[in-house]
Amino acid sequence: MSWVRRYRALIRNAWLVDLQYRASIVLWLLWGVTEPAIALGIWWAIAGSGTVSGYARADFARYFFAVMLVNQLTIAWDSWYLDRWIREGDLNFRLARPLHPVHEAVADNVAYKARTASVILVVWLVAAALWPAVRLQATPGRLALTMIAVLLAAAMRFFISFTTGLLAFWTTRATAIMELHAGLSLFLAGRIAPLALLPPAVASVAGVLWFRSMLAFPVDLLTGTVHGADAVLRGFASQIVWLGVWIVACRVAWTRGIRKYGAVGG
Amino acid sequence: MSAFRILSAFWRLNVAEELQYRANFVASVLGTVFYMATALLTLSLFFRHTSQLGGWDYWEIVVLLGVFNTLTGVIEAVLRPGIGSLVGDVRSGELDLVLVKPVDAQGFVSFRRLDVWRFSDIVLGLGLAGYALVRLHRVPTISQLAAFALTLAAAAVVVYAIWVLLMCLAFWFVSVENIAVLFDSVFEGARYPVSAYPGALRLLFVYLIPIAWTTTVPASALTGRLRPALALVAALVAALVFAFARFAWRVALRRYAGASG
Repeated sequence: MSWVRRYRALIRNAWLVDLQYRASIVLWLLWGVTEPAIALGIWWAIAGSGTVSGYARADFARYFFAVMLVNQLTIAWDSWYLDRWIREGDLNFRLARPLHPVHEAVADNVAYKARTASVILVVWLVAAALWPAVRLQATPGRLALTMIAVLLAAAMRFFISFTTGLLAFWTTRATAIMELHAGLSLFLAGRIAPLALLPPAVASVAGVLWFRSMLAFPVDLLTGTVHGADAVLRGFASQIVWLGVWIVACRVAWTRGIRKYGAVGG
Repeated sequence: MSAFRILSAFWRLNVAEELQYRANFVASVLGTVFYMATALLTLSLFFRHTSQLGGWDYWEIVVLLGVFNTLTGVIEAVLRPGIGSLVGDVRSGELDLVLVKPVDAQGFVSFRRLDVWRFSDIVLGLGLAGYALVRLHRVPTISQLAAFALTLAAAAVVVYAIWVLLMCLAFWFVSVENIAVLFDSVFEGARYPVSAYPGALRLLFVYLIPIAWTTTVPASALTGRLRPALALVAALVAALVFAFARFAWRVALRRYAGASG
């Protein structure tokens, strides 16, 4: 029960802090929207009146609208925050609290995503009203599965980001590592194109590693390109396994790092 | 003249300071190479499924990517550390210290700080464009090179003016520390020729947010697509946008009340 209260307080706090910086949030939102919009523009031109590996213009439109939404729901900026907390010593007062800093980070994510994703959802609904191509034909069951997949992906990307941020205990280039990961995920997570359009070898690497689970799998679930119970189950299994791996990695990095941490201005 | 003397003193200090952190040079070059590699891979991915993009073939767009990277160098080396820090200065009131100096405030704010390592981006970008020209078996004529130099300079001016306009928003909205993100996200669109975009986006990029003039036009000059007259139009566009930015700066400054004041 007390956890519910703690989280309500943390989320409320994060929400109010965000509220002060409404303009900034709109800017970050725009950053998240332009990348898929540009990719859509290019694929739109390439597809013309035909199809590219089975994707026609309307399919690309649906895919990238789903990418906008799912990416916004799963993206985590925590490595940047942690890097700053550790380098500048902002971690100190957080350690002194009777609450693990990870909870504050989770609450921040919930508040941020609730705000930005609802904006995207509204934009999508307006677009769908005017533009039949981006309308979804999803059954309630599929929507429910998508929600679970998005939750798992969000949790995993949170732990990836948090763990990478923790590398700041050892190196000053933790955010550069995160940028590297972002560069890889451009292709492997399906941000620039549906995985079906990648060279098969690359696409299978994306499936074996955690990248597909981060974004492409929930997106494909939403747009209905994952067919059959078997494929759905395998997608979820991969998500759960990799989520577990990243949770373990995060715990290891945290316990080792905190032992090494000599606070700034100590 | 004296403004230039002051600035060059600042730059010397700047370079001396940066030379202490030489490892940053390696990190910066590696970062740029990685960024260029992802851009080229993205392009290869598109060209797996098409042979032309907006009428341009692969190596022509690589020329454009080289131009894009050159401009990124200008942005990262000069604009972001200089005019990019205006928002923070307005909020903290540090701009007071600039305004009392007997120099042109806009010029001073814009060019006081450099990120010298990022000048390597300009070299790498021009190198990439040159390599792509070799792959195209195309040797630009003198007049094409002149048109390229003119349009590239015009592009730098357009980019600068857009930054000034964005940063001026800081005088109205104080909490826009990350307003540069707005530029970054839209400028991503300049990685491809404008002709590759659907009609509405194209109009937007040519007229409303004139980033078409920043990469498509100089790259066209190098590959010989550009009608010479258009180089002059580019210069005109740059002059217009610059004048507008100058005007916006004046208006914005009138709103500035100082911090302690």
